[in-house]
Amino acid sequence: MPALDIAQEEVGYLTPEAMTEVAHALNLDPGYVEGVATFYSLFHLEPVGKHRLYMCTNLACMLRGAYDMLAHANQAIGVSESGEVSADGLFSTEEVECLGACEYAPMMRLDHAFHYDLTAEKIDALIGERRG
Amino acid sequence: MGKHKAQPPAGPLRGSHGKARHHLLTEHFGTRDLATLKGYQRFGGYETLEKALGMEPKALVDEVKSSGLRGRGGAGFATGVKWGFMPPPDGGPRYVVVNADESEPGTSKDRYIIENSPHMVLEGILIAAFAVQSHQAWIYIRGEYDRPYQMLSDAIAELRDAKILGPRPFGEDYALDIQMYRGHGAYICGEETALLESLEGKRAQPRSRPPYPAVKGAWARPTLLNNIETLATVPWIIRHGAAEYVKFGTEKNRGTRLLSVSGHIRTPGVYEIEIGVPFTHVIMELAGGPFEGRQIKAFWPGGSSAKVLPASRMDVTTDAEALAAADSMAGSGGCMVADDTTCMVETTYRLLKFYAYESCGKCTPCRVGGNWAVRTVAKILAGEGSRMDLQMLDRIQAGLQDGRCLCGLGDSAGWVVQSAMNHFPEEFEEHAVRHTCSVKRVRAAASA
Repeated sequence: MPALDIAQEEVGYLTPEAMTEVAHALNLDPGYVEGVATFYSLFHLEPVGKHRLYMCTNLACMLRGAYDMLAHANQAIGVSESGEVSADGLFSTEEVECLGACEYAPMMRLDHAFHYDLTAEKIDALIGERRG
Repeated sequence: MGKHKAQPPAGPLRGSHGKARHHLLTEHFGTRDLATLKGYQRFGGYETLEKALGMEPKALVDEVKSSGLRGRGGAGFATGVKWGFMPPPDGGPRYVVVNADESEPGTSKDRYIIENSPHMVLEGILIAAFAVQSHQAWIYIRGEYDRPYQMLSDAIAELRDAKILGPRPFGEDYALDIQMYRGHGAYICGEETALLESLEGKRAQPRSRPPYPAVKGAWARPTLLNNIETLATVPWIIRHGAAEYVKFGTEKNRGTRLLSVSGHIRTPGVYEIEIGVPFTHVIMELAGGPFEGRQIKAFWPGGSSAKVLPASRMDVTTDAEALAAADSMAGSGGCMVADDTTCMVETTYRLLKFYAYESCGKCTPCRVGGNWAVRTVAKILAGEGSRMDLQMLDRIQAGLQDGRCLCGLGDSAGWVVQSAMNHFPEEFEEHAVRHTCSVKRVRAAASA
């Protein structure tokens, strides 16, 4: 899995070619590598935005308005549903399961960091900073 | 995952500082520099490890056994007994694998412990490794925990520099090492045998037992698996002695534990409580009770896998026996609270989606039953259900339960449906039969 990490970091997501290359490097069957990659949600098999908003919508966050936050984030980056990449290629959102920061709900993970107590304004600011 | 940029500071600590009556784990939490080796050593850090390395390993196992400490990951198995399952050394490798894959919905206490005191966790791991005569520990941490991963990695680097990790910790001829391994987003990895599969670089599907990990674990070698909070408690027990530890808690459920309290309450946080206090204390006092004008309706006492209880059962106490008697469980200590604006059919739907999505696909009842339950509840929520769907849902949940699968994920999905239908039958009835939702009126009134 660390090898797949390196490949994903380089290309942005795991292309069939990248997985085959990992398989050859480790002397594994490409089908086996693909099997591992498809099992874990942090491996992306489709293109994703440069900045990914992993938004928790599990119960603790849902009770505190996570679905409104998700809808707001999708609107802010201009996509109709999670999984789509924004037109400038910078952003995509993903609805994820509990991220283990329930006392700060609603929350999300963006660029390898957690962002707590989300509000529409906070999401707008985080997106704005990254648009530059 | 490449180089990480410096992490922004964690949010303000939300927890039991100054509020809890007993601090065993959280005593120094919030102290500046506690995360550094120097800061931790100011409070006697690693003195307990040094003492332990001079003891007989068996004496350490016995001390933990007599402390009555039980695993804090969810199953609540006696920690000392688990340590005792490890076979005698045969000269080959044996491992301590630490479960930091905290993914049970509503549970955030392991993250809280690591972010406050990573060295307390590491000291516990090293004491456990010596007690079961292992030289190599692995920390399996969920991939989304960037900051805890960084903090543990930094702490491990400090220990290497200080030669507490290495061939001769404290001059003793007993090599110790800790390695980190990151997960990649799969709830099932919290299950111990699925975690081992993942650690070996495979799809995380649970193994059938026996053989148990103590006999054949990581890379088919004897392996001890413990949760972060469990191991973080070990230094206190060895330092102060089991006799001190048993003064806390109930007869069958000793000590204190950390509850992560979230949802519709005023002051969510991670609170250290003495096991045995009632949930009224946790929800109404520590967590500040419901919002203005609202009423608590239901709570999940130990993560989403613990059966939901109605507010009328807030008198139940936090020990495993009382919760089992109330037909729920202590689980992972993730207490989620919902008020009267919450539709229980909606919460059931959201949790079922979680279990269906996270099913690893190995066992048929869980793979098929989970999605079937999701579709059935979706139909009921959409106002297209009937009494027959309720009966079907009841049969699906029964089919998910009672050990039909290799691990407990399927059972948990069954419990979600069973407990919600059991405690809130009228809500399912009105959605399925009359195609209405009375909670919508409460919500409308609340926002008016």
